[in-house]
Amino acid sequence: MAPTAGGNPLRDPRDRRLPRLPDASALVVFGVTGDLSRKKLIPAVYDLANRGLLPPGFVLLGFARRDWEGHEPFIEFARECAEKGARTPFREETWDRLASSIRFVRGSFDDDAGFDRLVQELDSLESSHGIVGNAAFYLSIPPSAFPVVLKQMERTGLADEKTAGGWRRVVVEKPFGHDLASARELNSLVDEVFGPEDVFRIDHYLGKETVQNLFALRFANTLFEPIWNSQFVDSVQITMAEDVGIGTRAGFYDETGAARDVLQNHLLQLLALTAMEEPVSFGAETIRTEKIKILRAVSLPDDLAHYAIRGQYEQGWLAGERVRGYLDEENIPPTSTTETYAAVRLNIETRRWAGVPFYLRTGKRLPRRVTEIAIGFKQAPHLPFDATDTADLGHNQLVVRVQPDEGVTLKFGSKVPGTAMEVRDVAMEFLFGEAFTEALPEAYERLILDVLLGDAMLFPDNAEVEESWRIIDPLEEYWAGTKPFTYRSGSWGPAASDEMLARDGRRWRRP
Amino acid sequence: MTTLWDTTGSAVVKALSAERRAAGALAFGLALTLVVVVDEKNVAAAENAATAAAAAHPCRLLIVVRRQIDAPHPRLDAEVSIGGRLGPGEAIVMRMSGRLALHAESVVLPLLASDAPVVTWWHDEPPTRIAFDPLGVFADRRVTDCASAPDPLAALRLRAADFEPGDTDLAWTRISGWRTLLAAAFDGRTDRPSSATIEADQADPSAQLFAGWLRGKLSVPVDVAGSGKRGIQAVRVAVADGEIAVTRADSRAGTITRPGVPPRRLPLRQLDVGDLLAEELRRLDDDAIYAEALSAWSGVPDLTRRSGHREHIWQDPMEQPPTAAAAPVSAETGPASAAAESGPVAGGGD
Repeated sequence: MAPTAGGNPLRDPRDRRLPRLPDASALVVFGVTGDLSRKKLIPAVYDLANRGLLPPGFVLLGFARRDWEGHEPFIEFARECAEKGARTPFREETWDRLASSIRFVRGSFDDDAGFDRLVQELDSLESSHGIVGNAAFYLSIPPSAFPVVLKQMERTGLADEKTAGGWRRVVVEKPFGHDLASARELNSLVDEVFGPEDVFRIDHYLGKETVQNLFALRFANTLFEPIWNSQFVDSVQITMAEDVGIGTRAGFYDETGAARDVLQNHLLQLLALTAMEEPVSFGAETIRTEKIKILRAVSLPDDLAHYAIRGQYEQGWLAGERVRGYLDEENIPPTSTTETYAAVRLNIETRRWAGVPFYLRTGKRLPRRVTEIAIGFKQAPHLPFDATDTADLGHNQLVVRVQPDEGVTLKFGSKVPGTAMEVRDVAMEFLFGEAFTEALPEAYERLILDVLLGDAMLFPDNAEVEESWRIIDPLEEYWAGTKPFTYRSGSWGPAASDEMLARDGRRWRRP
Repeated sequence: MTTLWDTTGSAVVKALSAERRAAGALAFGLALTLVVVVDEKNVAAAENAATAAAAAHPCRLLIVVRRQIDAPHPRLDAEVSIGGRLGPGEAIVMRMSGRLALHAESVVLPLLASDAPVVTWWHDEPPTRIAFDPLGVFADRRVTDCASAPDPLAALRLRAADFEPGDTDLAWTRISGWRTLLAAAFDGRTDRPSSATIEADQADPSAQLFAGWLRGKLSVPVDVAGSGKRGIQAVRVAVADGEIAVTRADSRAGTITRPGVPPRRLPLRQLDVGDLLAEELRRLDDDAIYAEALSAWSGVPDLTRRSGHREHIWQDPMEQPPTAAAAPVSAETGPASAAAESGPVAGGGD
């Protein structure tokens, strides 16, 4: 008899044609009219439905303050979002099917009646859609609203798996606090209402194909792992650059800054995946174990003045348009010292990485939107050529492009054709879209599906979040009361950041 | 695009590298080669399907059209294009006539992307034995379509007798959506059903494979009962507390019915050949589940344990009336074979 999975006689782990579908369940979104929900969550749910990855009993339940009567206005709203944001083509039939399982509950977070209605709605869905008590609550709301929402859920027993008779999960978006103390407070608050294993913290970078490909690249090949250490690696640069400014997030951004907004979560997660040891198996627990080891081993340089640089964009020209400086943006106080750029050198105190600097940088209003991990290798210990022959030879590099143009580039020296011996850098490129398929799934699709499946592999846990704040807090302390360097919009950041690498005899890679 | 009339294999290889150079960066990172074998009258349909599949899974596309085997002189015409009417990748359409048609591999072999997997797809009636066609022998994956044979069930029986791991048939691909919905309907259940019925034409190879799969997985009798309509209309499984059913609602959706739960509509698209082929290109390892379903339906045991290896068997259609070739799989009586080994062929097809 063929092996079966989970008691279902028709499921077979070897049967790769059948997609894994989640249990019948409801996805409850708080703050469903917000930006994230409009641009990412609702389109992702539509795409999942269109790809046939949602279970027979699935319900999208929106909760918001809007003065909408019944479900219709919300369905109309969701349709607009899906039409605008979906990756897969918009099909009327798919939509009609999905629309029949979209529900709306009106209420504000401090309104007991609203939550009571939510409980009733969930109960009634059990008989009408067969969701058998399974529900995931997506908190797409500002962290300040967490306590009151969680209190309401506690009061109404929404988080209680026993009374629900199914699983109850909660999804939390960044920021996970603004420092170690607040993160701990937030974590214990969420963990108290839901169990720690039912809390899913979304870092959407981890949902990207290229980031998951890091596992494949490192652990499925023999080629790279032997040189993935301080003996061969000279330095690592992790960059997340954005060409946009702060947009409409002025209030939030001015309190947060680039280090808390990006460095603490995305960049440190990328660093952990790049530097971690091989997990003993490919599962949530084992991968977290290795990630947390790396985060614990991260140390800051003593000389923060030279190795922790922050900047703020001034007005300038970007992509052929004149753009405002940060201090001229709407709702930003003219005396603000919030950084829009942060670059820092970190070390990892392990045998594998001793002496290899990890340079992390992020910024807004940089020339282009790009995220990449660049591993720079050491120069060959001996070059049997004349110095002039290799004048153009740089370091060998392996670059993982996270976005856009997802793929991998390998840079190495090659002879220039001709009678003279002349060695110059060439690049070998692998593009995901070219080798496999053009329709890479969006990160949120994968992550929402994983939440419904209960697969926590791509979600950082409590300990990782707290450990990341342990790294960021001293930086913030050091920066408090100082003024960031300035850089022109459309440049690659403040000069001090270039000097930071020049001091080490290196330079930033132009992504 | 380069068009070459009455040309040679080497000229085609040269034209391809010239096109690659002109296209610049386009030509990096090839993950596989797709060889399409098609009759002249179906070239347009095969091209459309292959182009659609190549858009989802970039590959080098080699379309081989064999015609007029009895023409007095061998002749090769070829069209080489990159990023042209045949999608974004590299594509070559080759028309081979005369005796060359029997030696198509001599043109195709040097055109395969280096060390990348090869998938061969027969758009029309599958060969009686894949070993007769050298274009199937060197392929890592072989895709046939029994539905395009005059007698689909006979063709499917031949597939079972001739099976090697790495073979699949589009009749199987056509029911992935059905299997997905039925498996989803079974999620959360642990009881064993008592019987199952598939509403479809008896002669529908997909319905028969579906029945084979259910018989193997559920160990229950499965009936295929005619519905008069084309394609599978419904599958019904009797369970202790009622019936689990998936029924086709329209060309894009199906309805799942389970005891005690209101019926639900879910996507169940009728895929065109391009979509089916794209699904085949997604995974290049052999499909053990297909082998088990084929084995359960045909009664040919242990298909999964076969070697996956074939040697080419020389067979000249000019010396043998085509009708004789269509009949028995045990046709090892062909004229003196260049490659004497005939490969393992398990006994009778039924």
